[in-house]
Amino acid sequence: MENLEAARLQMAITLIFHIVFACIGMVMPFFMIISHYKWLKTRKKVYLTLTKAWQRGVAIFFVTGAVSGTALSFELGLLWPEFMKHAGPIIGMPFSLEGAAFFVEAIALGFYLYGWQKLPEKFHWFTGVIIGISGVMSGILVVAANGWMNSPSGFTYENGVFSNIDPIAAMLNGAWFTQALHMTLAAFVATGFAVAGIHAYQVYRGRNVELHKKAFRIAIIFASIAALLQPISGDISAKDVAERQPAKLAALEAHYETEKGAPLYIGGIVDEENQEVNYKIEIPKALSFLAFGDFDAEVKGLNDFPKDEQPPVAIVHYAFQIMVGIGTLLAIVGLVYLLSLRFKTWQHNRKFWLLFTLMAPLGYIALEAGWIVTEVGRQPWIIYQVMKTKDAVTPMPGIFYSLITYTSIYIVLTCVVSWLLARQIKVLNQNED
Amino acid sequence: MLTVVLFFLFFSLFLYVLLAGADFGGGIIELFSSSKNQEKTKQTIYRVMGPIWEANHIWIIILIVIMWIAFPQYFNIFVVYLHIPITLMLLGITIRGLAFIFRHYDAVKGRSQGSYNALFKLGSILSPLFLGIVFGGLVGGNINLFSENPNLTFKEIYIDGWFNIFSLLIGFFYIVLCAFIAANFLIGEAGDDEELNLYRKKASYSTVILVLTGLLILIYGYFNEIAFVIDFIENTYSLIAVGISGLVLVPLWKMIKLKRKAWARVLAGVQVLLIVSAAMLAHFPDVIITSTKEISMLDGVAPDSVITVLGVALLIGGSFILPGLYHLMKSFQLIKLFK
Repeated sequence: MENLEAARLQMAITLIFHIVFACIGMVMPFFMIISHYKWLKTRKKVYLTLTKAWQRGVAIFFVTGAVSGTALSFELGLLWPEFMKHAGPIIGMPFSLEGAAFFVEAIALGFYLYGWQKLPEKFHWFTGVIIGISGVMSGILVVAANGWMNSPSGFTYENGVFSNIDPIAAMLNGAWFTQALHMTLAAFVATGFAVAGIHAYQVYRGRNVELHKKAFRIAIIFASIAALLQPISGDISAKDVAERQPAKLAALEAHYETEKGAPLYIGGIVDEENQEVNYKIEIPKALSFLAFGDFDAEVKGLNDFPKDEQPPVAIVHYAFQIMVGIGTLLAIVGLVYLLSLRFKTWQHNRKFWLLFTLMAPLGYIALEAGWIVTEVGRQPWIIYQVMKTKDAVTPMPGIFYSLITYTSIYIVLTCVVSWLLARQIKVLNQNED
Repeated sequence: MLTVVLFFLFFSLFLYVLLAGADFGGGIIELFSSSKNQEKTKQTIYRVMGPIWEANHIWIIILIVIMWIAFPQYFNIFVVYLHIPITLMLLGITIRGLAFIFRHYDAVKGRSQGSYNALFKLGSILSPLFLGIVFGGLVGGNINLFSENPNLTFKEIYIDGWFNIFSLLIGFFYIVLCAFIAANFLIGEAGDDEELNLYRKKASYSTVILVLTGLLILIYGYFNEIAFVIDFIENTYSLIAVGISGLVLVPLWKMIKLKRKAWARVLAGVQVLLIVSAAMLAHFPDVIITSTKEISMLDGVAPDSVITVLGVALLIGGSFILPGLYHLMKSFQLIKLFK
């Protein structure tokens, strides 16, 4: 395997895992403090049990996230030294603020985890609120740094030299807001459905139903609302990409030829050699409308870009289809939940719980697909139209071995974390029965 | 503003060496305890380090972020030539962090605890060993820049720089330093006299080994003409710092004997501060020594606009973090001195 491919794959795998740990660590504190609030309000024991159970989940994911985040902060430099040499000072701002936010989160978590019965009740609860807020802040700041790679700003680039660096302008780049909004909502959708799904399964199996129903209700309300808002944010993102990164838009829609009134392709199998999409469903003029708000707008095709500036088409197109497909499905299922608040008999049906059990992994699949769209869709650039990924990679050969090491660690890590969570749930159910 | 940035850089370095050191050291002491005492040590470490454990590793993230923002050229050499030991260090940190959390968050306390413990101890040795090796590699004068000689082999570029006796000695030195910090730290937390004696013993062993390893490094470096050591010996301030750190051992032992736990802890911290400063004084700003030259950290420092913004960000961030951290430590009585 080529060094560049190995480095890209290692980065992708590390991020794919880190995103899951980070998003759970970012969203679960919110569930935890709601349950905690209910405990303080109602003094029902079940909320205390639930809060403590979720607290253990938060701690496990915070630490796994922190450890894989430490590795990542080094990996950026280890794998992409040329990128960091030039981009480091420019996008340092969001990273240093993220460090600060993360630190605040860690301190608040220290207070929260070890503060039971030691701190005043309200202050203890409030440290939980800080965990949630600072977690979301760090997520937004990291995404702002990624936004800069898609929409570089805050510097002048001439003859390979970066000058006039303005770190604030770089942080507030054109893509930060749309990306941060989309990502934050995605984190709530994915984690909400995952947590709700796990508890729905317990209800479905009839284990410790009272607790799991309460847990389900807290998680799913976040998930449903976020899932219904996500399509709006997706539309803003699509319009943003259409304007800023036309090659990415062409790749995610697998459009090879430039045309006016471009149709939207749904599904289909991409034949990169013959530049065709077979077996697709075509909606006339829909792409032009969705991307530019005008049925006759011109959408640039991939062939309008030099061969060495085209992103891989098939993978981006498939990932995009998966993301949008699942996103739509989850919005509908979210609506089903909101309607079930009106039509209460639905919740007595076991199929209701089975439905939400099946949804558990989907949010995360969509979230990962979304990252594949934005990262692979930016290729061959690491900094859009400034630096190519192949020019940023480390000169050290043999990254393949590093790839193997990291991949094995993350696989073991994921297995162990899942196993630990399963044990937590099992013990939780045993204690209540 | 560069001064502010440098202050935070050294401040986080110091705190990382100290706090993560205490953390790693806990695992090392556990490793060298009889199985009866292991369980006790483990409980004490968790009680003491637990609340700030989460915050510990963030110092190294802050350190690395400041490096890549403010000193990009320097960071570049660091990550390219020391890729392998950095990766191994990360491996150690990862293994250790996971073992720590699994030891305490596995709902079922059973057989799997044994493997968590083994991983914890392995990580506790690997992380400081390679952290020390990385530092040794930076200043050991064995890095071969490929920009100067394009015909170098993989081994000459990526391995010789850090895989040598000097770096290994520094790695070993940091392991012992960690054990030293942890032992002194734990003395203040011992539940009974038996435990107190245990940590006291560890503290005196590690002090002796620490001093011997330090001397060994100086002697080895002197006879092999390692630039860092020569500069160290020739630098008055470094020698004064080392001298004071030697003298501080006397009151440290006294305080331990008198059971003045808080003072013992402060003096152990001062010890570490003096060792870190001695190393820095000898060489700042030329913190990278290659086989042909010394590279200043301030070469290729980021433009003023970046440094200013970073400095402001650090000051603002620091004003949130430091009081928070102080109160965290205070609430859980890590700082008994100020009671």
